[in-house]
Amino acid sequence: MSYVTRVWQDHKTTITPWLFLLPGILMFAIYIVIPIFQSIAISFYRWDGLGEKTFIGLENYRELMRDDIFFTALQNNVIWLVLYLLALPAGLFLALFLNQTTRGIRIYKSLFFFPFVISQVVVGLVFSWFYDPSFGLFNTGLMKIGLSPIPVLADERFVTYGVIIAGLWPQIAYCMILYLTGLNAVDGEQIEAARLDNVRGWRMLWYVILPQLRPATFIALVVTVIGALRSFDLISIMTGGGPWGSSQVLAYYMYEQAFSEYGFRMGYGAAIAVVLFAIMLIYIGFFLAKMYRDEKGR
Amino acid sequence: MAGITLNKAIKRYGAVDVIHGIDLEIEDGEFCVLVGPSGCGKSTLLRMVAGLEETSGGDIHIGSRNVTRLDPAARGVSMVFQTYALYPHMTVAENMSFGLRMNGHPKAEIAAKVKAAADILKLNDYLERKPKALSGGQRQRVAIGRAIVRGPEVFLFDEPLSNLDAELRVEMRVEIARLHKEIGATMVYVTHDQVEAMTLADKIVVLRSGRIEQVGTPLDLYHDPDNRFVAGFIGSPAMNFVKATVRDGRVHAPGLSDEAFAVDIALPPNGTDLLVGVRPHHIAIDPQGASHTLIVKEALGAMFHAYLEAPTGERIVVEVPEAEAVGLQGEVGLRMGPDRLLLFDARTELRLR
Repeated sequence: MSYVTRVWQDHKTTITPWLFLLPGILMFAIYIVIPIFQSIAISFYRWDGLGEKTFIGLENYRELMRDDIFFTALQNNVIWLVLYLLALPAGLFLALFLNQTTRGIRIYKSLFFFPFVISQVVVGLVFSWFYDPSFGLFNTGLMKIGLSPIPVLADERFVTYGVIIAGLWPQIAYCMILYLTGLNAVDGEQIEAARLDNVRGWRMLWYVILPQLRPATFIALVVTVIGALRSFDLISIMTGGGPWGSSQVLAYYMYEQAFSEYGFRMGYGAAIAVVLFAIMLIYIGFFLAKMYRDEKGR
Repeated sequence: MAGITLNKAIKRYGAVDVIHGIDLEIEDGEFCVLVGPSGCGKSTLLRMVAGLEETSGGDIHIGSRNVTRLDPAARGVSMVFQTYALYPHMTVAENMSFGLRMNGHPKAEIAAKVKAAADILKLNDYLERKPKALSGGQRQRVAIGRAIVRGPEVFLFDEPLSNLDAELRVEMRVEIARLHKEIGATMVYVTHDQVEAMTLADKIVVLRSGRIEQVGTPLDLYHDPDNRFVAGFIGSPAMNFVKATVRDGRVHAPGLSDEAFAVDIALPPNGTDLLVGVRPHHIAIDPQGASHTLIVKEALGAMFHAYLEAPTGERIVVEVPEAEAVGLQGEVGLRMGPDRLLLFDARTELRLR
């Protein structure tokens, strides 16, 4: 027996999992882990993407501190984050509403899930038309009840909220599906036991149903937070960050600095990306800590 | 404390009746076991008493109150579920006190009741644990504790032991019997296990396809079944049945013996088809005989189960003491007292008395 065969025979069960993990690890490293460090490195340079890189230390970050649009983007990201969380209760409510056995309930569920299936670009277009001052449903409705039309996407005060509502539409559908799946796993006998304990309505939801939905809530929270922080498609389709940068968010601002016609400031874009990454890291850390605790608790 | 009365209780799903008008009287403080094969409606009947299933017709009284249309919580019943139905995110103490806390009882009273229930069930060491950290038997104890804490007039048990392994089941069975003695409340207990029914019940209700087959004390049902179904369901190993005919005022059962039996009950006319039932321990084996073939012996310790085949092809189980069973093989004969034979009409399966 050759040496290799013998090692294989002795360590089969230790080596096999790594062999299965290898393709995933390789892909993850090449496309995620290494680029993260490359981005961090680039953020210390001035670079147009083609020519010579010049090391400028923390100059990009210093410039960020003086950049009003960056702070608008940061603030908008916080608004996105907070309002996006509405997708959880809304999704839960829809799920509770749809969690019944009526004729054709599958069709209704599919219809409610539909916004999540269609592309964000389409969602953006649909809502752009919805808000359109001349023919959009929103303003037609406002005029019907005697109010003057509001050009939501052209008004600095409303634009971010208008885009967030568009984003909530598919996000609620996503949370709804997560909760519908969770509701399938709710133990019917626990509900009956609670009924015998004279618990019903909101108290039933709060004390008996929601605790059983904790895994679904956790996943819904994580995907919603990440979804809010990486919002990009809708901004790009609906406003392009305008008017005058008022609906800017970090992800779109980074793209604009690094790749759009305003110039190829790779280093500055990378610095914005690093800031966004740092914010996400807080949540990822929270996520990993929770996963680790759950795994250990088992 | 209160008894339960069911008057023509009916459960209908759409056009299908699953409970066909049941009349039943359960006395105050009685331990009543509903037993029957799966699908017989025993759990449905229990859930109707609990109020978890709507009653489609007839009415249900607990004590002097008509509870037919009342909410489960207003009926004064507690239920113990097969899967325990403990709230996984609450500790044992929280699980037991949940109902009282939700209904605004004073804290001191709740604490005292939980303590009392925990004492009865020996749960004091586990009060701060979550259900996940308990064994199956302990979880079932908690579920029972939750039922006790509410101080109900009636306890309902829905197959509470069927998720436990055999050893624990025996232990918990004794526990429940002790509990009944200690609390003295009316208890209704659903099971498909006739051993549980026999050992726990003051009164057994045998159900089949939504109808009551017979009601009585365990030994009544055992010794004096009304029909073939009850005779076959109660007792372990199950009663033997062989085909027979009436011939000249005697019962001819070729599966048991070539000779006809004389019996002291009025027999139907000559040629009527009968079924003869006889319990395995009412038959003795005659090693000198050669009417039956021994197929298999099962050793259970002091007792053996001998599986015999009659010339008619019918199978007969006989309980044989160890001493007689050891050398047994090949062809054997049977001996039994004719007074041990139960006769049933082959068509209606009703007992002939």
